[in-house]
Amino acid sequence: MTVGVRHRVILTGRLTPLLLLPARQFGTLIGLVALCAVLWILTPHFLTVSNLLNVAEQTSINAIVAVGMTFVILSGGIDLSVGSLVALAGVVLGTGLQSGQPLPLALALALAAGLACGLGNGALISWGGLPPFIVTLGTMSIARGAALLFTEGRPISGFDESFRVLATGRAGFVPAPVVAMAVVYAAAHFVLSRTTFGRYVYAIGGNEEATRLSGVPVRFHKTIIYGVSGLMSATAAVILTARLNSAQPIAGMMYELDAIAATVIGGTSLMGGDGNLGGTLVGALILGVLRTGPNLLGVSSFLPQIVIGGVSIVAVLLDTVLKRKNRT
Amino acid sequence: MKRACLLVGMTLAIGCNRGPATTSTTGKPTVALVLKTLNHPFFVDMRRGAQEAADRLGVTLQVQAAEREIDVEKQMQIVENLIQTGVQALCITPSGSREIVSALVKAKDAGVPIIVVDTRVDAKAAADAGLRTETFVGSDNYEGGRLAGDYLVKATGGKAHVGILEGIPGHETGDSRLRGFRDAVKSAPGITIVASQPANWERDQGFNVFQNMLQAHQDIDSVFACSDLMALGAVEAIAAAGRRGKIKVVGFDALDDAKKAIAAGTMEASVAQFPAEMGRAAVESAVKVMRGEKLPPDINVKLDLVTRDNVK
Repeated sequence: MTVGVRHRVILTGRLTPLLLLPARQFGTLIGLVALCAVLWILTPHFLTVSNLLNVAEQTSINAIVAVGMTFVILSGGIDLSVGSLVALAGVVLGTGLQSGQPLPLALALALAAGLACGLGNGALISWGGLPPFIVTLGTMSIARGAALLFTEGRPISGFDESFRVLATGRAGFVPAPVVAMAVVYAAAHFVLSRTTFGRYVYAIGGNEEATRLSGVPVRFHKTIIYGVSGLMSATAAVILTARLNSAQPIAGMMYELDAIAATVIGGTSLMGGDGNLGGTLVGALILGVLRTGPNLLGVSSFLPQIVIGGVSIVAVLLDTVLKRKNRT
Repeated sequence: MKRACLLVGMTLAIGCNRGPATTSTTGKPTVALVLKTLNHPFFVDMRRGAQEAADRLGVTLQVQAAEREIDVEKQMQIVENLIQTGVQALCITPSGSREIVSALVKAKDAGVPIIVVDTRVDAKAAADAGLRTETFVGSDNYEGGRLAGDYLVKATGGKAHVGILEGIPGHETGDSRLRGFRDAVKSAPGITIVASQPANWERDQGFNVFQNMLQAHQDIDSVFACSDLMALGAVEAIAAAGRRGKIKVVGFDALDDAKKAIAAGTMEASVAQFPAEMGRAAVESAVKVMRGEKLPPDINVKLDLVTRDNVK
């Protein structure tokens, strides 16, 4: 396979992209550091251990959803159903726990629900030949409706401490959701960078037709990619449910947009084939810090919406400009 | 990306100049008011009342809200972040009666006294988590629902086919209003509730849900909506169906738009709450707690029924 990022750089053979590509990845990190510096200057409450852990904890849910989104976007697709899948998996989990199922079984059921919906998306996209936008838009509505119907619109709340520890527990001084985020990123990064499946994700996004012609079972792998996304949504649902002590059928609204924003700010190209999970994590942290800022500074909470929109556009703009230079 | 950083920095800096900084650089204690949302006139009024009280009592008020009323996870994040800034007291209108408990426990553990406003915290969830709040400031929503029910019984002479627009299921506020209304109309055997469905507090959903109700139940001649936004949606649906003046609409909140509708005769009545009063009482209570004074467990804010006779 010669369609991976590094290979492509070598193929284009110019010096500029070699210098620019790392700049794009580091740029996001520099952005995060600069943002933190600004907040550090503006408020004494930002740069404290407890606040940084607080930001990391609040970021964890979106960051985990964004892992799945990164797989999907790297393969040149999009997944709009992630937020609804968070709600659906949460409701499955909540129902399982409330009906007295053992914790491992309830967790397995929730993860299976997310995985199954994701695989369904993938199957329709690859074998049905439907556009990802339409399929996942449909699933978004179906999963949300199912979650609402199943619960009659009511949240399921009040869980055992043995379950809640998944969100309230601490490993040393690190909150459990942050640990979960670290584990998920380490595992996903390994899969993406060290396994054949991971390289196929880039290859499919880089040039699906060429990948198919090289004898890669593209349909199979695309199905798995959307399955990963569903699984990540379900993982996020576990943390969210434990955190709120409640499974809400209306949970996770607009999560798809946050996940897309984190991925795109993190430098993953919407065209597919280019990007990495480190960028996504930094992108999610930028969103997290931007959301926390107004609370710490005491300014209007409407402000971050504007800033996040602006940052997303600038990130994509930068991407496009780099691509153009790449081509010349 | 450099440009992105610059943009972020600039926007934050501009934002900062506009609002006062959180901390008591002036030495004044800070009281936080966390609302469900700021895109609803009810909460905007509450903020105004709270701000007036804060100015009068010499405390700094920090107001934060989620973008959407139902976003309890966002509200939880706000509380966590405010704890980091070391606010001295927290007034909050919970987006979820049970869900908010974990965040409030964190505040309690950080030594921040909590004043619950408008929507109660679920008593069982609070007890399970060992959460103690200082007081509850709000109107008795059950009583408000009764007020609306009693009025409808009188206005219809005890004979009506009622359609009900509920809030988000599981919300204490809406559930209490509904119970109050149902208990009040029980006394009149001529009143039947033919349909009762959630329209999630929203105007456009109020429109759609009531339009569908009218399709299914031609005989509906009265509506009780658990909030005015939904009631106003129903008013539009009635107009669209060409049945203006034939269906009595009773709402809740007495929003300005609803008062106009009552004056114009498209709405019958609305239960008035006094959100500015709630905001004022909340900040006053917070200041009392900071001074070490004891508070009663409930601070009731009056309710009133706005009808064509007394609408201004």
